[in-house]
Amino acid sequence: MSIQTLWDAPKRTTVRVTELVAGLNPLVVNRLREMGLEPGQLLESFGRGPFNGPVVVQIQDCVYTLEQQIAQQILITPQP
Amino acid sequence: MKKIVLVGKPNSGKSLLFNQLTGLRQKVANYPGVTVELKTGRFEQFELVDYPGAYSLSSLSRDEEIAVQKLQEAMQLPDTALVICNLDATRLESSLIFGLQVQALAKQQQKSVVFALNMADELARFGHELDTAALSKALGSPVFSISAKTLLGISDFRQALLELAAQAQPPIPSIDHGDEQALRTLSRSLSRQFGINASIVLKNQNRIDAFMLNSITGGFAFLLVMFLLFQSIFTLAAPLMDGVENGIAAFAHWVTGYIGEGRTSDFLNDAIFGGIGSFLVFVPQIMILTLIIGLLEDSGYLARAALICHRPLSYFGLSGRSFIPYLSGHACAIPAIMAARTIESPRKRLITMMTIPLMACSARLPVYALLISVLIPEQSYLGGIVNLQGIAFFGLYLMGIVIALIVSFMLSTFVIREDAKSDMPFILELPNYRLPHWKPLFVRVMASAKSFVYRSGPVIFAVTVLIWLLGYFPTDAGGLQNSYLGQIGHFIEPIFSPLGLDWRYGVAILMSFLAREVFVGALGTLFGIDGADENIAGLAANIQADGLAFGAGFGLLLFYVVALQCVATVATIRAETGSKRIAAGLVIGYGLLAYLLAFLAANLF
Repeated sequence: MSIQTLWDAPKRTTVRVTELVAGLNPLVVNRLREMGLEPGQLLESFGRGPFNGPVVVQIQDCVYTLEQQIAQQILITPQP
Repeated sequence: MKKIVLVGKPNSGKSLLFNQLTGLRQKVANYPGVTVELKTGRFEQFELVDYPGAYSLSSLSRDEEIAVQKLQEAMQLPDTALVICNLDATRLESSLIFGLQVQALAKQQQKSVVFALNMADELARFGHELDTAALSKALGSPVFSISAKTLLGISDFRQALLELAAQAQPPIPSIDHGDEQALRTLSRSLSRQFGINASIVLKNQNRIDAFMLNSITGGFAFLLVMFLLFQSIFTLAAPLMDGVENGIAAFAHWVTGYIGEGRTSDFLNDAIFGGIGSFLVFVPQIMILTLIIGLLEDSGYLARAALICHRPLSYFGLSGRSFIPYLSGHACAIPAIMAARTIESPRKRLITMMTIPLMACSARLPVYALLISVLIPEQSYLGGIVNLQGIAFFGLYLMGIVIALIVSFMLSTFVIREDAKSDMPFILELPNYRLPHWKPLFVRVMASAKSFVYRSGPVIFAVTVLIWLLGYFPTDAGGLQNSYLGQIGHFIEPIFSPLGLDWRYGVAILMSFLAREVFVGALGTLFGIDGADENIAGLAANIQADGLAFGAGFGLLLFYVVALQCVATVATIRAETGSKRIAAGLVIGYGLLAYLLAFLAANLF
């Protein structure tokens, strides 16, 4: 089981969130939780946007884009 | 009058519902564009208030902060009869998290809530039906399945709203709300029970995004959209602008025909009609750009554009969200500066606001048109495809953007300190692709024209009349040179002679610091041309014959690319940043930079 960040998640894979790295702004953590990004949650990664841009992820019933700074603070494991 | 409050997340069809309930009898609080202001309208005997969309009651960006603050205030007022929470029926889980937050707040304030599950038409298309009765029971508040687009369920909804709002004590939500975790758990279970499977709803969107967000195909699509947008400025707006000019000129001619020659006729023609004409002529361009940007936004594409731009813009200290204000800044800076409220990072928001005035707004077009006619020959190559004047226009637009990026970079690196801890990251929802509905677009386009006319009209008109009066009097002194305007001009000439410009340009530049639109008319007055706004070619010929040096002309052009010449913009920046220092600093800073560039051009070319 390899541990990666959401920023490095490959395209078109289902991943599970393992941890939100400590040190994130609490307001941001709150918003991420509201979006459904909490440990244990499954999400679909679509990889980075054009020109190495923000990652695109599907969480529950919405598609979001998160910039590198945030995506690197979210630890995930790919689900085979 | 009792109030009904309308809230909802962005992209949930709230604006359209508002339009359908108020029947276009509405008033936008300030400036349209990205909804950052309250809209109020009349729904039967109630006042319906539309709040800007927010993703959550715990706000991340300034626009959400304002929306939530105003919502909380409204919830405390006794004349708030009812709260309508508009939700996207196709995305129940994420919608209910917000819905439950609103409901909890309303219950605290003893207010009644009604849920409008919008986009029922899309749900029906997927073959899914919502059990509103059971969901109402589970939520402890009435639930209505509607489609603001097809008007499905709207009449029952209207009826129910009237009945509920008319009650002295409408029923408040009956369920208990726990903490954030409990709300999320409840949303999840309710959506599992009543909602549609997410993968069905998202299939199309993801398929289109595979194309739109691919580096090659997406990048190409983006450039194509931008090209079409800027093309529209010239091919659609130009004939309309000519139409407005000709219309006013014809009307003026007819009116003065009745009055006959003389001072009153001159005053009417040049000052009054000239003054009105000089700001009305911009309305078509502002309306067209508002329409196109509105189409891009409502279709869902703008979110993708912001995503594509985020990485490149970040190098300059901006956010992907800065893209939209930059775009609207090409129509008018004021709504663009207000649209910057959606930028999540306060620092990036500030930098964006400070550089929006460098975008080639509608007011710069006539100045560019005049100077390009003077300086650049009307030559085409390759059978008309490559047109020198057209390229010059494009170059000026590009220059505004490039200088804005450079200034942003400078501000970001040297002036506005990075405060990583409190800075907000870029998180954006990619909404579903939808065909825009004409009603919200129509309202926005009309509102953009109206607010421009009310906001800028008086200033431009006043300045134009003032210039005319100063140039006309004293009439016994003998010509323009000895009028008050001439006297002012000669006094300030030393400032402008290093730029290769004489007193007439000096006066025109000075006057246009109030509103750059007056430059052409002012110069026309100073060159002794009547109705210069309607006769740019005539004025251009006069300027050429007068012998304006290329370097000086080019310098003048550069001056107008950079200088902040608009009282309304300065006022907006002061209001949005809360700082007189920043507003003044920008006028002085850009003014000095403009002077420097003009100086270099005049002396190097």
